[in-house]
Amino acid sequence: MMNTGYDIEINGLGVRHNNSWVLRGFDLKVLPGEKVALSGPSGSGKSTVLKCVMGLVEPQEGSISVQGRALNAHSIWSLRHQLAYVAQEPDLGTGTPRQALESAFAYKANVGLRDNLKKLPVLAERFKLSESLLDKESVSLSGGEKQRFALVAALLLERPIILLDEVSSALDKVNKQVVVDFIQEAVDTTVVSVAHDPDWLSFAERVVHLDIKANIPEVSDE
Amino acid sequence: MNEVVDIGFWSLTAAYLMLIVPLSILFYMRVPIIKETCWSLLRMTLQLLFVGFYLQVVFRLNNLWLNMGWLLAMVGVADVSILRGCHFDLRRFAMAMFVALFAGTLIPLLAFTGVLIDRPNLLDAQYVIPLAGMVLGNCLRADIIGLKNFYEGIKKSEKAYNQSLAQGASLREALHPYFRDALHAALLPTVASMATIGLVSLPGMMTGVILGGADPLTAIKYQIAIMIAIYTGTALTVFLAIRLTTNNSFTHYGLLDHAIFKGRAKISG
Repeated sequence: MMNTGYDIEINGLGVRHNNSWVLRGFDLKVLPGEKVALSGPSGSGKSTVLKCVMGLVEPQEGSISVQGRALNAHSIWSLRHQLAYVAQEPDLGTGTPRQALESAFAYKANVGLRDNLKKLPVLAERFKLSESLLDKESVSLSGGEKQRFALVAALLLERPIILLDEVSSALDKVNKQVVVDFIQEAVDTTVVSVAHDPDWLSFAERVVHLDIKANIPEVSDE
Repeated sequence: MNEVVDIGFWSLTAAYLMLIVPLSILFYMRVPIIKETCWSLLRMTLQLLFVGFYLQVVFRLNNLWLNMGWLLAMVGVADVSILRGCHFDLRRFAMAMFVALFAGTLIPLLAFTGVLIDRPNLLDAQYVIPLAGMVLGNCLRADIIGLKNFYEGIKKSEKAYNQSLAQGASLREALHPYFRDALHAALLPTVASMATIGLVSLPGMMTGVILGGADPLTAIKYQIAIMIAIYTGTALTVFLAIRLTTNNSFTHYGLLDHAIFKGRAKISG
């Protein structure tokens, strides 16, 4: 595929789950450095879009390309190195947040980024995560703390494209603003975010609305 | 040392009479397992009678191919019972499990009969059949623990697993923590039984060798060797079982294919 200049290009995306379409005929083009928000009622497939780009859901229809490379079973493994993803309710796994953050740098693909871990204290402070939280058991953290740690994990990897799924859902107003400011400062980073909260939408340069009815044709062609 | 004393037909019948004791207790206490007990006793008797007669033939002929056939049949039965016990899709895992069980049983077994007791016939029925049964039985138990732990572990923390893929892990890197934990869980019972052996109870093999008229010192040497064979076999079989089944249970994107869980097929979204 030719490099079209888009960081993410989605054409006619369709995902079926339990015999019904969660998403269908969805298109999206995101320029490098652009901040895009996906909004829409729950069940409109916003999260599914991000998971498809991340290769965590395999679509039945349509195509996705990331930085001009078509996403498929072969390319996904290297495309993931261009992407960072923060899940809606992140699971930091067993152990402490510090272990969770460090584990990602043990992967062969990220070994060269190990020095980024030095930025951890600064980032943690920025997101109002105290040093002591780093060595607590992850399971004992609040939803908001987990979300901010997951965000820190994503930022430490310094990927050019960041996908955020309802990252604001467990954050209070102050913390939300911290995250919004941070994203706005990251001029070169492409951000696609799922949100239905007006504070959160404020950072977006463009809001793409997903609708349940608009996406799924009444008549199934199966 | 004395040769083992055979039990006569009427003596064995007398042994059945001893069952009056437990059955009376069950009846007196109204414990509702009398029917099950009788059914299990019947099954035990018939199965063992069959195996006894069959083994008599196998031992008399002591034919390499017949012994090998017996080994393959035992592995086959173990294979099916593991996959049934774990509710996994038989067709997908059967071949991988067969290889894992066969290698886990045969390799320590050949070391036992070939090197340790130096039999000219590597598959001598007198040694191969009881030893294979012990190693295989342990492999079976270890594989059930290992496979269940591995796949259920990933399913339970699928979000964290997917997140490791999202962070750029290769399939092997993403699976590693679950693989490690599954191996740990599967080997733990054997490690624990090695540590308490001889203190809590006399192991079956030692009892057998002693009953067979051997010196207790010979018996413990056999017991040590079989424990090492079992540990080697279980480590090998669990490693192979997980390693070989992963080829077939993750999508090309590295996602867990839920279709491996029989009857619970579901696509996560």
